[in-house]
Amino acid sequence: MDKLIIAGKEFESRLFIGTGKFASNQIMAKAISASGTQMVTVALRRVDIDNPNDNLLAAIDRRKYLLLPNTSGARDAAEAVRLARLARAATGIAWIKLEVTPDPYYLLPDGEETLKAAAELVKDGFVVLPYINADPILAKKLQDIGTATVMPLAAPIGSNKGLKTRDAIEIIIEQAIVPVVVDAGLGAPSHAAEAMEMGADAVLVNTAVAAAADPVAAAQAFKLAVQAGRLAYLSGLAGQSKQANASSPLTGFLRNE
Amino acid sequence: MNATLKINGQVREFAERLPATLAELLKTLHIDEATIVAELDGKIIPHAEFSTAVLRENASIELVRFVGGG
Repeated sequence: MDKLIIAGKEFESRLFIGTGKFASNQIMAKAISASGTQMVTVALRRVDIDNPNDNLLAAIDRRKYLLLPNTSGARDAAEAVRLARLARAATGIAWIKLEVTPDPYYLLPDGEETLKAAAELVKDGFVVLPYINADPILAKKLQDIGTATVMPLAAPIGSNKGLKTRDAIEIIIEQAIVPVVVDAGLGAPSHAAEAMEMGADAVLVNTAVAAAADPVAAAQAFKLAVQAGRLAYLSGLAGQSKQANASSPLTGFLRNE
Repeated sequence: MNATLKINGQVREFAERLPATLAELLKTLHIDEATIVAELDGKIIPHAEFSTAVLRENASIELVRFVGGG
């Protein structure tokens, strides 16, 4: 399959995996492996001083997977920039999934603060992958200031509702000069395949894998769906029509008329 | 007299004296310094400077690390 290139870095896999909500680090590691991903997201939080030894990174092989820290928990641009700088100090690389979500109920991103933070981080040398509402105008503004991707949401984070923003994402894809990664709300492999068929460059999945009864099998299913969706997009699928178009010849029937 | 630091938003008291450096504090708290990032009074401290980052009374320290997230 064709490679995905973000900020000059090549990826064979077009599926990014989030590491939240897994029952254990062992199950997470197995699911990551089964997904075929090469990029995993992580969050930054305060160390629990009284229980300091839970080490997520020990379960993630950084030679195989690029670590993409997010700025989750940030309520405005200043908090996001602070988290991004802490993440850079931790990873030694400047890739950041920028998310600014002031509303805890729907966790929808604040476009204005996201744009502000993105401008500052791009200037500071970060490779910025911003999580946004499916807003084609905002997506254009972000790519124009130099973000490495845009990541429009399919539906609210963790909702598993699928591609609710399909029409707007189609416009974002049409206008994109950077990879479009559909993030959040993809609840089934068919949702991921649908996003890829319409030309998304990649998808990010977390809850749908982590919260499945068998996360390893779910990860594999998403892997296959993303591959199928990409292949379908590249194949140039035939268009739809209202009436039937026979697949079998309409001549040589065994009847006399 | 007790000495205090503010660690992750919580005031923490140390009998006798403060840990002299960030590295010493982490050792006292049994935190593997390779797994965390630290801010001292709002400034990120690179790992190489943990053993020379001097703690003063009432210093504000943030210790963060990666956890699962999407």
